[in-house]
Amino acid sequence: MRTSARLAASVVCRLALVCGVAGAAGPAQYELARPGYRYQFPRDHFNHPAFQTEWWYYTGNLTAPDGRRFGYELTFFRQAIQRGGKPEGWEVPDVYLAHFTVSDLNAGRFHQAERLNRPGPGLAGADLKQARVWNGNWQAQWQFDPSTPGGFRAQALQAIAEKFSIRLSLTSDKPPVVHGTNGVSQKADGAGHASHYVSLTRLKTSGSIEIEGRRFDVAGLTWMDHEFFTNQLAADQAGWDWFSLQLDDGSELMLYRLRQKDGNAGRWSHGSFVDAHGTVRALDATEFQLTPGATWASQRTGAHYPVAWRIAVPGLGLNLSLLTRLEAQEVTGGGDISPSYWEGAVEVTGTRGGKPSAGRGYLEMTGYAKPLQLGGGAAVQRGAGAPANAGK
Amino acid sequence: MAPLQVFYRLFLRPLRRNLLRTTLTLLSVSLGVAVILAIELAGDAAAGSFQASVETLAGKADFEVTSITGVPAEALGRLATLPYDLNLQARLEGTALVEPSLRAVPLVGVDMVAGALQRSGQQLKPGADGAWIGIDLARDLHLNAGGRLGIVVNDRRAEYPIQGVLGEGSADAVVMDLGPMSRLLDRADRLDRILVGVPNNQPQRDWERTLRAALPPGVTVAPAGARTGENRKMLGAFRWNLRVLSYIALVVGAFLIYNSISVSVVRRRTEIGVLRALGATRGGVLLAFLGESVCLGLAGSLGGVLLGRLLAAGAVGMVASTVNSLYVSSRPGAIALTPLTTLFALALGVGVSILSSLAPAWEASRVAPVEAMARGRVEHQARLHTRRHLCFAVLLGAAAYWAALQDPVAGKPLFGYLAAVLTLGASALAIPALVAGLAALSGLYLEHLLGVEALLASRSLAGSLRRTSVLTGALSTAVAMMVAVAIMVGSFRQTVVVWMEDRLQADVYVRSAGGSGGDRFPALSADTPERLARLPEAAAVDAYRAYAIHYHGLPATLGANDVRLSARYMRRPYLGGENPAEVAHELRSGESVIVSEPFANKHHTRKGDWLQLTLGEHQPRFRVAAIYADYSSERGSIGMDRATLLRYLPDPAPTSAAVYLKPGVTPEQGKRAVEQALAGRMIRVFTNGALRVEAIKIFDRTFAITYALEAVAVFVAVLGVAGALIALVIDRRREFGLLRFLGASTGQVRRLILFEAGLLGLLGNAAGFALGYVLSLLLIFVINRQSFGWTIQFHWPVGVLMGALTAIYAATLLASIQPARIATGLNPIEVVHED
Repeated sequence: MRTSARLAASVVCRLALVCGVAGAAGPAQYELARPGYRYQFPRDHFNHPAFQTEWWYYTGNLTAPDGRRFGYELTFFRQAIQRGGKPEGWEVPDVYLAHFTVSDLNAGRFHQAERLNRPGPGLAGADLKQARVWNGNWQAQWQFDPSTPGGFRAQALQAIAEKFSIRLSLTSDKPPVVHGTNGVSQKADGAGHASHYVSLTRLKTSGSIEIEGRRFDVAGLTWMDHEFFTNQLAADQAGWDWFSLQLDDGSELMLYRLRQKDGNAGRWSHGSFVDAHGTVRALDATEFQLTPGATWASQRTGAHYPVAWRIAVPGLGLNLSLLTRLEAQEVTGGGDISPSYWEGAVEVTGTRGGKPSAGRGYLEMTGYAKPLQLGGGAAVQRGAGAPANAGK
Repeated sequence: MAPLQVFYRLFLRPLRRNLLRTTLTLLSVSLGVAVILAIELAGDAAAGSFQASVETLAGKADFEVTSITGVPAEALGRLATLPYDLNLQARLEGTALVEPSLRAVPLVGVDMVAGALQRSGQQLKPGADGAWIGIDLARDLHLNAGGRLGIVVNDRRAEYPIQGVLGEGSADAVVMDLGPMSRLLDRADRLDRILVGVPNNQPQRDWERTLRAALPPGVTVAPAGARTGENRKMLGAFRWNLRVLSYIALVVGAFLIYNSISVSVVRRRTEIGVLRALGATRGGVLLAFLGESVCLGLAGSLGGVLLGRLLAAGAVGMVASTVNSLYVSSRPGAIALTPLTTLFALALGVGVSILSSLAPAWEASRVAPVEAMARGRVEHQARLHTRRHLCFAVLLGAAAYWAALQDPVAGKPLFGYLAAVLTLGASALAIPALVAGLAALSGLYLEHLLGVEALLASRSLAGSLRRTSVLTGALSTAVAMMVAVAIMVGSFRQTVVVWMEDRLQADVYVRSAGGSGGDRFPALSADTPERLARLPEAAAVDAYRAYAIHYHGLPATLGANDVRLSARYMRRPYLGGENPAEVAHELRSGESVIVSEPFANKHHTRKGDWLQLTLGEHQPRFRVAAIYADYSSERGSIGMDRATLLRYLPDPAPTSAAVYLKPGVTPEQGKRAVEQALAGRMIRVFTNGALRVEAIKIFDRTFAITYALEAVAVFVAVLGVAGALIALVIDRRREFGLLRFLGASTGQVRRLILFEAGLLGLLGNAAGFALGYVLSLLLIFVINRQSFGWTIQFHWPVGVLMGALTAIYAATLLASIQPARIATGLNPIEVVHED
């Protein structure tokens, strides 16, 4: 689950206009995420043009040798605009949006950048042949490794923004985790309100971060999500809270809570627990509790984000409390197109089966920002109240 | 006596009293300054705008990536994925004729997807498949967001919803996303330009190298704005000559200031003598007269600045149209009257005033208290010096001849101008002798022919020789400039007409309706030549393709057509008299090119030289087989065979097509057939005759500004004659009174003045005509050749000259009406008893 359909809806509405195909991009042209999907790696790490929306998320917690702590997010979104026609030249079958943030946790500074591109002549894409997902010079280059099942184990991440950049290499020790059941992660009632959702939950990471000309060698862990779908949310869903936690005992926990407009957590909230050996246990909405705590108010959007949480998974004996070192980790789209959400590095402490447990991770919260008045007088609902259907 | 008091008594009071003469003098200074300022401002506005339309849409750009046929689109992908924080802006460019007025504006395709995030709150917002338009365009054509925009691009018409109007100060352009724009231009795989902004963490030269290394061969990386610099350089000679031309009016003005101050010195000798007797120093008198000229100059220049700003608005259109058709597409920018330009204009006006009043002011300071009563001494001096002046004139003439033979300095015909100035000087010095001679001559015969009034008129002119000479000088200078430019332009025009006869041999010509210019070659659809060749009326079809290129840092045109056809049909195509068939044979080999005369002059290219061109990804070398005359553009052109061009740049779409008809088919029939074959396309079809008419129309438009400048100079001169005649009349009130007293009728007095004006006009016209002829030779064979490099055949534009000279003569006569009225209005008794 991630920034998801809200963003997708917003992007597609605005960009369908750019490309002169407003209204032509109904979901009917695209495939829906249905049970029984058979994953094939490395193929399924790359592009799925038959689906309307797709993204690749990299989030990680890194530490410099002197103990300075960093978080980073590098996300590639693909949103289909039109199908049919010749997908060549300057036509716009898809748009690619990318977000890049670095949280300088010790300095208390949050750096963010975003970019939008058409595929164009190699401007952006996700291509198996090149083993690459990219948007300009922000890219994830997979490295072929014949000894690994699926052929890929390591990736090189590069993102260069005006004032900050990262160059990281990622290596996965665990096989890909497919969330949900029977190949789909159901998000709402009804066929197709679902996504195909796969993660690499523990990517050993090393490399460097450069901020305003200052370079830091860093090491740590990255979490990668890859999700593709068409029209996954239902109309009564308002937003979500999503957690990816990497515990020090070698296990990982992914949880999301879909908030309905009536304020309740929807029954399609879901989670996955991956133990140190890579065995996955799916968690349904009844198996965990997420309790929001203190909030942080964004000056820019006026949103109140709960930045402290209590997490309980009784079946695993897990009781965690979540905090962040930096409250201001709100991603605010600079343009009219991308929405605002909170996505930041977090830390958890607590117990697992009575024994102390700790870890780090990323928290994403969407649907809190107030509707924003946009240029031209058009108000685009962000968060509560907006129908989340893509393409409308 | 205090200097200020001297100043007031001697000058301000008389200035106020002689309001009409003062006004005329002021007006001549104003016009002189105004014309110079207007040309300067208009030139700036016209030249400053090449980059405006495209660059105002761009953010920071340090480099621009271009290529003759367009930059391969993959280059953008390659740059985008380089591991540097580059700011890339892809551009497709064209020209759109906007309906309904078909105003030609730049059509710019930008990546609105990439720009959508950055541009929030700015002018461009993503929207449907539509266009944004500049605010001036919207205002002038009453277009609004939500309306429809009809444009003609190349040979197509297209219609788009108007998504929005760009903000205040925006470029005068139509802006679209790359997607629809590439569909419109049918160009999916090429960009016209990539603007690149680089971080400033390393020297620009290193960035240039980095960028070049990432780009395919044949693609040029140049500092952004370098093209603008090149265009400015190319325009240099044109603006320089225009500027020089604009100074003519001020030169004429200088004569008039000189005259005006001289008149006041002569008229006030008595007063000066009295003042001197009362204790005014020589320095005081000198300063006072210089002060008068400063006042005149300052007041005149102030008026000139205001007038110049107004004139600039009119001139900018004319200058821009010349720039467009001869050099490079530009849309006049805003006229910017900066404090510096204003100061320059004021300094110029005042400076010229002081300079031209130096001699009379010095003369005034020499007036001895006792001399004040001695009238006539000065005129006597002038007569005495006539011979010496004539000697100087001969010397200056010889110097002018020497200067005319010198080479240009840094591409500018400085010695040519020097020769012109020396010639002017020589003529100014020779004029007293001419006047004296003519007066002596006319004295013998005029009385018999025209009566006693004519005799009196001629004697009076000869009597006040100095003033007459100055007036004749002013008038003849203006006339000479007019004559010289008329001969030059007329010769040029005739040369072009003959050239077109030789060159334009096809019967029907086709080009796209999309606006073309010196550097704009809107393409026809690629199948045009085939379609035309299938016409039963067609004997042969020639396809011509042109590209705007850069050669050794200067813009040029690369053109190609079927050289076999040119060999078969064209007459006298090459300057060296080469055999067309042999040249064609050499061109067919694919290793030779021909270059135009302006190109050869700019790049010092001779027959047999080798040129290296960047064509696509290749850099072939070509031998220059011949040099051809080309008056269609000053950019300089390289011509090759179409097959050679297609080998390197395989885009078959032609810029224009020429149809040779079979015998027995009339041009009109041919034109209709062509129009039917290409029905539905936005094209313009010309018969041979119509094309020539069109070309001459463009030629005349190009030189409109020249004529306008001439007209101003002549107008200033005629004003001067009027002013001088009034001064003459007031000066000679007693004489007229005496004449009336002795029984002369008012008619006789009126005739007397008319004859004086007529004699002045005749002298001015005759001297001006002779001087103009000499200057025209300088213009055609020295200045033109050195700054533009065109071969012009000398030709008398008899009609234009006759008309202009008659008009000037008539204007001089008309200028005598007011003085005659004043003279006849004098009460003889009162005047005679004045003293």
